[in-house]
Amino acid sequence: MQRPVTTLRLSPQIKVKVLNAGFQTLDDVMQVSALELSREAGLSQEEALEVLQVARKEGGADGGGAGDGASLTALDLLQKEEALTRIVTFSSRLDAALGGGLPVGKITEICGVPGMGKTQLCLQLAVDVQVPPCFGGLGGQVVFIDTEGSFVVQRAVDLATAAVRHCTLLAEEAEQRDAAAAFTVETILSNIFMVRCHDYVELLAEIYLLPDFLSSHPKVRLVVIDSVAFPFRQHFDELRAQRTRLLNGLAQQLISMATKHDVAVVLSNQMTTRLQGGQSQLVPALGESWGHAPTLRLLLRWAGSQRQATIFKSPDCEEATVNYQITTDGFRDDDRSEQPPSKRPRTLAGQSAAC
Amino acid sequence: MVLLREGMCPGLDEDFVRRLRDAQVKTVEDLVSSDMEDLAQKCSASYKALIAIRRVLLAQHAAFPVSGADLYDELLSSTAILSTGNPDLDALLDSGVYTGEITELAGGPASGKTQVCLGVAAHVSQHLRQNVIYVDTTGGLSAGRLRQMLRTQTSSDDEQMEALQRITVHRAFDIFSLLDCLYRLGGDGGGGGGLRQASSHGGSVKALIVDSVSAVIAPLLGSRHDEGMYMKSQVAITLKAMAKDFNIAALVTNHVTRSVEGEVQPGLGVSWSHVPRTRVLLERLPDADIDRPTRRCATLIKSSRRPCLIRAELDLQWWSRSERDTSGKRKLDRADS
Amino acid sequence: MLLCQPPIRTTEEEKEGGGNVNMTESGAQLFARLDGRQSVRDIEPRLFPQNAQPGPGAVVELYGTEGTGKTELLYHFLCRAVLPVHAGGLELEVLFVDTDYSLDVLRLVGILDARLLAAAAESSIWPQRPEAHVRACLSRLLVAHCDSSRQLLVTLHTLEARLVSRPGPALVLLDSASAFYWSDRGEGGASVSKQEENLRKCSQLLAALLRDYRISVFASCHANRRRCGHASSSFSHLCRPWQRLVTHRVLCSRQEVAPARGGPRGHVFSAHCTSSSSGGKAYRNCSFRIGDGGLEFV
Repeated sequence: MQRPVTTLRLSPQIKVKVLNAGFQTLDDVMQVSALELSREAGLSQEEALEVLQVARKEGGADGGGAGDGASLTALDLLQKEEALTRIVTFSSRLDAALGGGLPVGKITEICGVPGMGKTQLCLQLAVDVQVPPCFGGLGGQVVFIDTEGSFVVQRAVDLATAAVRHCTLLAEEAEQRDAAAAFTVETILSNIFMVRCHDYVELLAEIYLLPDFLSSHPKVRLVVIDSVAFPFRQHFDELRAQRTRLLNGLAQQLISMATKHDVAVVLSNQMTTRLQGGQSQLVPALGESWGHAPTLRLLLRWAGSQRQATIFKSPDCEEATVNYQITTDGFRDDDRSEQPPSKRPRTLAGQSAAC
Repeated sequence: MVLLREGMCPGLDEDFVRRLRDAQVKTVEDLVSSDMEDLAQKCSASYKALIAIRRVLLAQHAAFPVSGADLYDELLSSTAILSTGNPDLDALLDSGVYTGEITELAGGPASGKTQVCLGVAAHVSQHLRQNVIYVDTTGGLSAGRLRQMLRTQTSSDDEQMEALQRITVHRAFDIFSLLDCLYRLGGDGGGGGGLRQASSHGGSVKALIVDSVSAVIAPLLGSRHDEGMYMKSQVAITLKAMAKDFNIAALVTNHVTRSVEGEVQPGLGVSWSHVPRTRVLLERLPDADIDRPTRRCATLIKSSRRPCLIRAELDLQWWSRSERDTSGKRKLDRADS
Repeated sequence: MLLCQPPIRTTEEEKEGGGNVNMTESGAQLFARLDGRQSVRDIEPRLFPQNAQPGPGAVVELYGTEGTGKTELLYHFLCRAVLPVHAGGLELEVLFVDTDYSLDVLRLVGILDARLLAAAAESSIWPQRPEAHVRACLSRLLVAHCDSSRQLLVTLHTLEARLVSRPGPALVLLDSASAFYWSDRGEGGASVSKQEENLRKCSQLLAALLRDYRISVFASCHANRRRCGHASSSFSHLCRPWQRLVTHRVLCSRQEVAPARGGPRGHVFSAHCTSSSSGGKAYRNCSFRIGDGGLEFV
């Protein structure tokens, strides 16, 4: 197979110049020097060098295989997955259903109507990801992108206080006591990098810049966007196609970032009604194609007066529903009501062996 | 095809290339399309030499036609039908995915596309002991889940590890990465990881999974529409050529679009619809969702072997079933019965 | 070859102006041989307008969206062409240029099998080795795969050498003519003429081959829109030289039909043929189903 130069990662302007000079395939380009190329195609020296660099990399002259496309075996991947600690939610049932918590390196979406506790769960995760490793946490930092202005510092303090108390009670060994002493509300708050985005342009710009930030802050293990829906549900009344395209691009940027920097990406999303077959149905917002973006989807909803979280989409967990409550301490199991009879045993049986 | 260069074939030296260029003959296509007598005059070259060069270039660059009978023999000896490991899906696909062609799974979010891909990968690597290439463009690949699936087939840890090692994973989150990956696999250059090399080293690759194609193409469609269409066509051409040249079963996933009437169609538009030879639409069952959360409805919407629109109900849990429920009842029913 | 040759064979030869036992032949004989021996005119009388069957020099374009039976129609023509005369075929040599990588040889063999069996049942002579018959048919077929319009052009250039040696292919099937439409758009840079250059050159080359060697070309072309309107309103998006080449256009479409008593939902395919030869325009409509044995006209 001859690779056309047009399929290379180059700017359209450069490609057109190269094409017009008669270079069509990778082989054509590889045969000439940068000087010849710049002369024949009317490119600057730098541009010609760039073309040749990209071509040589893909032409396999140096063995290829660098960059994103690098391959690994599923076994390598398994070892990598097992090395990454999951982020607990502080609801033991949800954690069990998730196979130990939210996965790092994936995109998780939390959907629910207002008041279900989406922001609460986001905050909870922002605190939990900081739990020191000796307590089974990640000891990581957080980027919290707030698009709705719903981040309330006092709530973060409440949740942090509860988490600190929890760890202090658990501390037994010397190492844990030291870690617990260093795990304070102040350090927790100082490890949350807050970003406020007012519209989708700011959000997209932030996501564009984020990989650089993550490179310079390697301890970040969690990126929260609360919510991804809000900026995209305004200004797009007439431009559904454009919104879909922007969102599709955003999804690919996020998963690329999550994979490269080993961060968990957590998004919250609103619900919307969809009419289907004469019935209205509550579904996650932003349209159906956005549904492919998250690797894992959690639906928060009421079942009577009971809050329930359902794992709706996941590559490695079965669909499962657990009860939860929002307390002053944060996101917790709900033991008040009776256990729902049918779903519980299957959920646990299916997962506990595997994870 | 390519620019004319000195040394491409005997008799084509630097001076000759320059004279041809002066006569506006730059590429192989230009040369073979030119009138030889005219050209001989224009660049004051010998007619005989030009004819000889043209003949060599044609032989180098034309596709060589193969007799249908030879093709058939080759096909009979090399075509393999890879079982997906799921009996219901196998029945729908006429016993599995075929090497040499592209099979597509289309479906909405959480319709089970990735689960089927993982299931096929696990089955092909463990049960059929063949190598698999898995291109993940959405981050949906979970090695943990693959391990769960392998556990149902063998209790030996070593065998599970070997099976995992037979699955090569490439992660490509944008269109250029995907094309880099496909061209590298299909290329015969010196670069590592090419399929030609892999097959010459003994272990042949039988399945190529791309989950999903739409995730990396969709962001281009719209404002950069023509570029998107172009990239889509390149992905199609490389996949088709690889499936055929290396006799690999290509399994790709696609998202769906919903028309105004609520009709579900595979995404990526009409130009892509010609690409897969077999298309399966996966859908969640409208009712009994809570009761049987892992059951899906699969409809054959394009096939050259079986009547279209036949349906099957399949259980995604099949690939990771425990020994106890292997007897689980299966159903294969026609669309309207 | 162990082909059983029913009497019909000899009558066919007489009709064509006889076996060339003479070492010399007149210009008229030569013409009869070139023109008569391998006539694709009878390839499918039910599809093309009467009096406007696609003879040598014809270019037939099958136009339609995915799943409207274009490739199946090509298989149908292919089978008619390569089947032996006693099985209702034309015994022609065929070149199949596969630019879509769509040729499914197993499917083709299935159709050939069905046709050979049907012919055998009719003549009540059961073939001894059906496999050998299928192989004999397949040996009349040449297949070339192309992965770019550049390669297509160069490959067509090699066709001439094959046509000079007789018997060369009488029929060229191209599936599809539009395969590289988007590639060429992307690789042609900014100018439309550059984008269309390769297909234009291919068309010009084909025009010369059609004229000099009296071959016929049957090509499929994918519609680039979901819903193509009817007949004249739909237009091909390929370059002008190609469109000027086309003598017969077959617009393919598909309708879903209600299940027939417990069977699965099925499809009926329609083909609307327009020919624009010297004698003015002519039309013909027909419908068919697609079964295991290929096309079944209804």
